[in-house]
Amino acid sequence: MARYAMVIDTRKCIGCHSCTVACKVHNELPVEMIYNPVTTVGPTGVYPDLHMAHIPLLCMHCDNAPCVDACPTCASQRREQDGVVFVEDERCVGCLACVMACPYGARHMNHETGAVQKCDFCKDRLDVGMRPHCVNTCHQKARVFGDLDDRESEVAKLVNSENAVRLLGELNTEPYVFYIYGLEVKNP
Amino acid sequence: MSTKHQGWGWMLAVDFFFAGMGGGMLLVAGLIELFAGPDRISLLGNVLGPLCMCIGCGFLVLELGRPFQAWRVFMNPKAILTAGAWIMSIAIVAGLVYASFGLNPAWFGMDSLFWQQWGALRKLLAVLCVLTGLVVAGYPGVLLGRHKGRPFWVGPGIITLFLLSSLVTGVCAHIISGLLYPPTVLPGAWAALPTFAGGLLFFQLIAWIGYIWVKRTGATAAEAASALAWISGRFSDTFKAAFLFMGTIVPLVLVMIPSALCQGIGAALVLVGGVVMRCLVVAAGEDRTWLPGEQKYRSRLPIGNEAFLKAWSR
Repeated sequence: MARYAMVIDTRKCIGCHSCTVACKVHNELPVEMIYNPVTTVGPTGVYPDLHMAHIPLLCMHCDNAPCVDACPTCASQRREQDGVVFVEDERCVGCLACVMACPYGARHMNHETGAVQKCDFCKDRLDVGMRPHCVNTCHQKARVFGDLDDRESEVAKLVNSENAVRLLGELNTEPYVFYIYGLEVKNP
Repeated sequence: MSTKHQGWGWMLAVDFFFAGMGGGMLLVAGLIELFAGPDRISLLGNVLGPLCMCIGCGFLVLELGRPFQAWRVFMNPKAILTAGAWIMSIAIVAGLVYASFGLNPAWFGMDSLFWQQWGALRKLLAVLCVLTGLVVAGYPGVLLGRHKGRPFWVGPGIITLFLLSSLVTGVCAHIISGLLYPPTVLPGAWAALPTFAGGLLFFQLIAWIGYIWVKRTGATAAEAASALAWISGRFSDTFKAAFLFMGTIVPLVLVMIPSALCQGIGAALVLVGGVVMRCLVVAAGEDRTWLPGEQKYRSRLPIGNEAFLKAWSR
């Protein structure tokens, strides 16, 4: 049993969008679909104290995933063995209940297939011991991926030692993507 | 193709309208049957209630990305959509069987229809109509109120709004049905429906003003921003003119005038207001609690008709 998590160190992210492109290319996503956009906050402050942060977004693979509860067909599932939230394409009817339920905007309708798609942490790669494409491609090492249940893993050390926060933590969705900020970032 | 984020469209709003109105009609029919007696309201209304729910289901199926696999929505007992689908199915069957008690055997060339003698079954179906009608009438509110990331929907207040609207549209549909095909027993309970509709419209007006005020002043920043769209933003004109004025205040006056024409027009306006309200509420769900920088990011995405997106297919 494992509990996969990702820590994103926004102090290291330079907003190059390599992860966005790698994800789109390797997962062969349609033009309109972006699993992991990189947003920019700022610049804020007054010269010379200017700040800007890049925030890579993706599915948060929540422990208490509202999308899984909302799905009427059991197409949205959470794997017991590692906590990865994914969509079983054959079962999806495209009702968009999960799209509306997700507070992170991480789900997308594929109009060609009529089904909903989302980031699944590249679970097929995880199953053979590889890391997600977005993690592999990040040359700044801003994305750290691993098993949170393994105390020796880098991801567990970062979550426990740094001031790692969850997005919209007040909604009690218990996301397993954590962010380390270099400066205060507020929701607009 | 559009890179903008997607959500439910107008067909779901229309589904909410027909299903809610049908649920309200069943609820009213069942209550009148149990507390006032049989044949007090129009047979047309009793038949239209479950049929409206069927129409709502049709719009829901059309809204799906894979409409031919719609049967799968019955699969997850933990999902509220599944619960809604089951309850609505039961309500449709119960409503149609209940309505069949009012059929005239002469239409079928018979002296009597055998099941019309079973009074206990009729009462049992009336109870079922009340229970399932109530659930179907309030169900869209429960569905929307659970969306944590949709600031205008979240919370139990939206259940009251949908329940009230479903009830008032159901009552008004019964008023129109009674005008077109009068009930067997007159004046009966049907004659009191316009007054009941007037009371419900008054509560609807107060509930909506209260809901917007609470969202604007007493909740999170995202909820306050979402309420602003209804006060002075993109929904405000339609909300005030089409729903509050033409769909609530004007009919409130019209249904209180003792004239069949005025009451009929008032009831029709309530139905139009009900559709408008649901379209606006569903559209308001497009706005999520935005993540840092997300609004700016999404505002810069192409909408699908840009030249560079079409360049590859030339």
